[in-house]
Amino acid sequence: MMTIFRTLFRKELLDASRDKRSVMAGLYYAVGTPLLMCLLFSVLLKQLSSSDELLISIDNANAAPALVHYLANKDIRQGEGAEVKAIRLVVSTDFQQQLQQGRPATVIIDADRADDQLQTAIRRLERELGRYNSEIATLRLMARGIDPQLMQPIDVQMQDQATPDSRGGTFLGIASLSIILTLFYAAMNLAIDTSAGERERNSLTLLLSQPLSSLQLVLAKIAAIACFSMLGLVVILLVSKFTYGMVPWQQLGFNISLDADFMLFTLLVGLPLALLSASLQVMVSFVAKSFKEAQTYVTMVLLVPVALSMVTTYNIAPDHLQWLPIAAQQQAMIGFLKGSAIAMPQLLVSSLLTLAIFAACSYASSRLLKSEKVVFGL
Amino acid sequence: MNTLKLKHLSAAWPLIAATALLMPLAASAQQPKLVTPQQAKPTLSPCYAQNLTDRMLCGSIRRPLDAAAPSQDAGIDIHFAVLPAINPLHQQEAVVAFAGGPGQSAFDAAATFAHILRYARESRDILLVDQRGTGKSGLLQCDGLDLTSQFALDENSVDITKMTRKETELCRDKLQVDLNHYTTVAAAGDFEAVRLALGYQKLHLYGGSYGTRMAQEYMRQYPSAVLTATLDGVVPFNQSFGAMGAASDASLEAVYAYCDASPECQQQFPAARAQLQQLQQTLTAQTINTKVRHPRTFELIELNLTRAKLQQALRFALYRNSTRAMLPLVVDQASTGDYSALTGLMLAQDIAADLSVGVNFAVVCGEDRPFWTAQSQAEFAQSYLGQSWLQGAETSCNVWQVTPVAADYTAPLQTDTPVLLLSGGLDPVTPPGWAELAMAKMRNARHLVAPHATHIVASQTCAPKLISQFINQQSTAELDERCLQQELRQAFLTNANGTAMPPTALAASPTSTTIGAEE
Repeated sequence: MMTIFRTLFRKELLDASRDKRSVMAGLYYAVGTPLLMCLLFSVLLKQLSSSDELLISIDNANAAPALVHYLANKDIRQGEGAEVKAIRLVVSTDFQQQLQQGRPATVIIDADRADDQLQTAIRRLERELGRYNSEIATLRLMARGIDPQLMQPIDVQMQDQATPDSRGGTFLGIASLSIILTLFYAAMNLAIDTSAGERERNSLTLLLSQPLSSLQLVLAKIAAIACFSMLGLVVILLVSKFTYGMVPWQQLGFNISLDADFMLFTLLVGLPLALLSASLQVMVSFVAKSFKEAQTYVTMVLLVPVALSMVTTYNIAPDHLQWLPIAAQQQAMIGFLKGSAIAMPQLLVSSLLTLAIFAACSYASSRLLKSEKVVFGL
Repeated sequence: MNTLKLKHLSAAWPLIAATALLMPLAASAQQPKLVTPQQAKPTLSPCYAQNLTDRMLCGSIRRPLDAAAPSQDAGIDIHFAVLPAINPLHQQEAVVAFAGGPGQSAFDAAATFAHILRYARESRDILLVDQRGTGKSGLLQCDGLDLTSQFALDENSVDITKMTRKETELCRDKLQVDLNHYTTVAAAGDFEAVRLALGYQKLHLYGGSYGTRMAQEYMRQYPSAVLTATLDGVVPFNQSFGAMGAASDASLEAVYAYCDASPECQQQFPAARAQLQQLQQTLTAQTINTKVRHPRTFELIELNLTRAKLQQALRFALYRNSTRAMLPLVVDQASTGDYSALTGLMLAQDIAADLSVGVNFAVVCGEDRPFWTAQSQAEFAQSYLGQSWLQGAETSCNVWQVTPVAADYTAPLQTDTPVLLLSGGLDPVTPPGWAELAMAKMRNARHLVAPHATHIVASQTCAPKLISQFINQQSTAELDERCLQQELRQAFLTNANGTAMPPTALAASPTSTTIGAEE
């Protein structure tokens, strides 16, 4: 019994590894995604970190030289050319007069708040203007013999429980998303090839004519595919560790580092998912009538894990979704990276669910293979 | 409001008898230990400091009070805090920040240090150690006068020497400590013990004000533990705190020189210098008794305005460019009998509250006074502040009776360790000349001066970036000091609402030239 299974399994592995293009296609994802992410993150970080000079246009700067000078000391300057952000600071003509009389002197920030690229810059400008405000206000009170701290009846002290490892937020979500999806993309080609492909090559009937059950056949295929999924997982973890280590996260005040513990943890929670991924895609491929049709269906079915992963990444999942496969595993991975507590009940339930789906899909596939319609693709 | 607090803090730095403030050493929580500490690794627990949202890890180690007789029962708990690196790329290293004073708590200044060392923290832990006798490490503090009593005190009609002696005796009797164990020399070992306990192999030092002296002493005692040292507002071994008076006078003179060069200031306060001299003369001759509003309660309280109060208010105003810009206005108003603006300036005295009196006098009496000469005393006495500091220190030290440190204490530090020295050109306590004295025997040192900065350059300029670069490269060679040249002086207040007009000098300042250069 086990001998037959082992022989089958070996045959499937051999088959799959012979189809180098399919294997490589899966691995391209595992290698390419982290590289792409690393590039993307680096560009994004550059936009988000605002420690460098901010060039804006200032109208009527002569009316408020002290303010302009203050901003310049904070690296916010009037500039010209392509580097200048589309932010215009307009100083009112009576600025100095108003200030001298102790009345509010108006400056206008003219910018598009909906422009994501400007948001950090606008906030920075507002923050510095606020500081200028409080600096002038402090001097005004002191010049009247009043303690400036009277302006602050409540001293609000924030004690942030976050650590550098837990501040990654969305970045952590995207990183874990790309890792989890490997299990699906690395399996895709092989799953189609070993089922719909085998049928089109007419070797499926040959296999079925051997003295073995269709369930054994299906399980052997799934096991082989899952092996390649896990290989993809190992590859993406290694590549991610390397590439994410090169992104200067610390400039934004947080850190994402994938250590060996995290890798082991991910391999562990990823194993049931690899089985689910393989069984699901094999089943869908058998349902399809042809190779091409299988490709279409599998792609469509893959939208489900992507969607589950997305809602987790962007933290828009309702509570009960966190008990579902993929969502719960990804949540656990993020928790692990953050160093916060992992929701064990959710993880356990979803892992069991994952295995249940794997069992159901495998059984369904084996039933399908009992139908001539499926076997001959009629 | 955060900024405000931060500034207050740096202003508080150089309080009391002496100089500046410093912070403590570094340690880290998560790393593997390469050095086996003699004692169990201290337990670290999360903690927070004023105005710093980030979580730190705090702990303490037990140290003998007397390092020469460690078997004795007397011990002291040295408290420290680790501000973890964002991305711990260098787990075996930490940046230790030494606070000023002498007597400031590093933990209390955590927000300031976190700001100054924010780039350095990207890859290394920041370690803050409360020097023995400060902050959480057994603060040696005595109550001072409250603001109302301070204002009412007429220094001209009481025997200040007698009063100082009485207060010091009260303090001595209350604290019941042997200050010999609280000198710079005695405290250096605590920082080393914390380093070993936390398992750091090497340290980068950042000292501000008196903290620079603590950093130098640490380098002297434990040279192999130090990779780099940044000294900001340098206090050399071979300079007495008494020379502060002259530094303060020079810094005040710079305010008036700037006013001379500013048409707006000239126009509004044509007799600015004469007004100040007149006010000083008047107050030397007599006390002005008046009533002012309490800065917080708004009650009418008595103010006995004396030369001592005026000089003290001026002294603290010189620490920040924003309050420097008030001086001509303050003096002008005081000359016409309006003392509210002066009252505002006098608020700064309140800041000294948390400073450790014990550590301050341990340092002044054990490491400064023994080296006074007739000549140096005559020199210090030439300035009003120097004179009153000498008198106060003399009187207090007679009460405290601290044993002088060894005679070679005042020898400049000899070292090959890379050292970055920072000075503010307008610094009223540690002028650039002091850094030159300190680096006489340093073989790998570079001194950068920010011409328009006051005390603690890193809290006012681009220096935090330079410090981080220096720590990463362990060399001062590639530091680009041009950004330190920026104009930090502010336009003088021409009335109680401020001014929108800059001094004309500003029109040709780096601001406009920088804009040109950007393109």
